[in-house]
Amino acid sequence: MPPDMIWRIDEFQIDPSRPLYEQFVEQIRAMIAKGQLAPGTRLPSVRETASSLRVNPTTIMKTYQELERLSLLVTYRGQGTFVTNEESAITRSRRELARSAVARLEELAQSIGLTLEQFIALAQEEE
Amino acid sequence: MEQTVTIQCTGVEMIFKKKQALRNVTFSTNSGSIVGLLGPNGAGKSTLMRILTGILEPTGGFVEVLGRKPGVETLAQLSFLPDRGQLPNWLTADQWLGYASGIYPDWDIALEREWVRKLEVDRTMGIGTMSRGQEARLQLLTCLSRRTKIVILDEPFTGVDLLSRERISSAIAEETAGGDRTFLIATHDIREMESMFDRIILIGDGTIKGVYDTEELRDEGHSVESCYREVFA
Repeated sequence: MPPDMIWRIDEFQIDPSRPLYEQFVEQIRAMIAKGQLAPGTRLPSVRETASSLRVNPTTIMKTYQELERLSLLVTYRGQGTFVTNEESAITRSRRELARSAVARLEELAQSIGLTLEQFIALAQEEE
Repeated sequence: MEQTVTIQCTGVEMIFKKKQALRNVTFSTNSGSIVGLLGPNGAGKSTLMRILTGILEPTGGFVEVLGRKPGVETLAQLSFLPDRGQLPNWLTADQWLGYASGIYPDWDIALEREWVRKLEVDRTMGIGTMSRGQEARLQLLTCLSRRTKIVILDEPFTGVDLLSRERISSAIAEETAGGDRTFLIATHDIREMESMFDRIILIGDGTIKGVYDTEELRDEGHSVESCYREVFA
């Protein structure tokens, strides 16, 4: 059974001085969060992905394993790896992404002595 | 998948006449991995590779390939693409593959067909009329069509066009995914290959300047390229 899609190298922005597996996890997670990868999509195998992205297969294996640990991917023996159909897992992942972004924003706000609410209000203030 | 040590070098020395070509070379490789052998010209990369194939015997130290001293038995389990190697230019690709399948007992016709298709090799073409990229693909095809556990490639990208380089890299990544092949690749093409390596061995002036696992390097904020620059600048 062929996969429903094929990864293309230009879908990823890779920084060569950060662990590659982390970057693939982040970027695929974001694709799932915004629905660019629809629930139930069948992903290419580790072998196909390593070949089309020209990346070490171990990196891709670790990426898929981590996304499975996050319940965003599901592997069925003999059938392949799919984006989860569980809306709750996707919602949880979206929430985690939002939380970590807000936490970073909060730190930035504190660095100039504001609460998050004050920080946002300041940004939206008319001159 | 369980990883096993496929190549082990311990304190390898090589002296040609009075010139010391390799000094205290120690490293190992695991099955299912792609290992880069990186260093400037004249660093000793080709000498080291010839020792691993059993063509040269080191003047000191220990070498084990699949648990044995390199020789006739290990040569049968290893494929080697030499630097500036040439295939017989009076043959067509098809004639060459027919010949190669006869001399290598582990030749796999199914693998040959698969790689002829994926590497887009034209079987009817005369080797003498091939571009460097076409010949490089045929050479890699010759290495990959054997069921060897170890594939050693000495500068597989020299003079090879971009699309052929990409096809070669894809083939290497795909073959490693099976989990039981080890690739040891000497190359100057760091940008093309850096996301493919599990481990890099930096060699200069005949000695090891460092052995790094690439994801650990990146975890500390270094790229393969920046590490290479720091070591050799």
